[in-house]
Amino acid sequence: MKTLEDIENLSLEELEQQAARTAPPAPEGLQKRLRMALAADGALRDADARKRRPRWVPYASLAAAAAAATLVLTLPQRGLRDTFDDPYLAYAEVEKAFQTISDKMSTGVELAREAGQSAELPQYVLNKIQK
Amino acid sequence: MKRITLLLAALMLLCLSAHAQDGKSIYQKYSDAEDVSAVYISPAMFRLIGKIPDLETGDNKVNLTPVIRSLTGMYIINSENASINDQLRNEAERFIKAGKYELLMEVKDHGEAVRMYTVGSEKLINGFVMLAAEPNEVTFICLDGQMGRDQFEKLVAEQMAQ
Repeated sequence: MKTLEDIENLSLEELEQQAARTAPPAPEGLQKRLRMALAADGALRDADARKRRPRWVPYASLAAAAAAATLVLTLPQRGLRDTFDDPYLAYAEVEKAFQTISDKMSTGVELAREAGQSAELPQYVLNKIQK
Repeated sequence: MKRITLLLAALMLLCLSAHAQDGKSIYQKYSDAEDVSAVYISPAMFRLIGKIPDLETGDNKVNLTPVIRSLTGMYIINSENASINDQLRNEAERFIKAGKYELLMEVKDHGEAVRMYTVGSEKLINGFVMLAAEPNEVTFICLDGQMGRDQFEKLVAEQMAQ
């Protein structure tokens, strides 16, 4: 018989070993019975849930989705209003847009030209060496 | 049944999202947002511009009227609103992908990425899109209408020479 002091002095591993040694044996077939009980409980819950969900819910959601899609596709789009009433101002804006496009293109062309020049340099050096 | 329902719902969503992606819908969605400047020019206005006989093109400025006559819409969105910039860029990219646009040019310079796309054939351009993204600014330009590819390229080249 161990005293309380002895037990307190035991390490965790020793305590675990002691507990494993003195554990009462589980009744035969307990694990199997527990599994079966849990499975039966799960099946009951599923059956209840199925009973509670009416069959028309998927059909109704499908119909709602179809109605929404039809509405969006068939309703006339909100009409857009011209930003300018004056054709001269509109023309100026188009000109500005084309200028922006050209500016961005110029940057691209310039970068390509620079890249071309730096690519030509090794060829130039190689040609010099060969001569 | 559940699978069929899910499949149909997914198809409907796909259909709706595809419907939402064009220059007009992007313009409609973002033109009223804060820190966004937007310009829309309708086909009617383009026709009106094309009919002006004495259009002042300024000193040495390139005359855009031949191209303008064939345009049917122009949408410009310039956003400095950080909260919508990513969304705008993503939506424009989705529109470009869905519209089968071809990359014409890509320029990355000083933190700015500019991409230009065209859709059409070898001789004709049916649409042009420019998407410029800077850290704090996104610009989307969409031109609708049939233009001769040569005509368009010549025009841009002339503008570059200015």
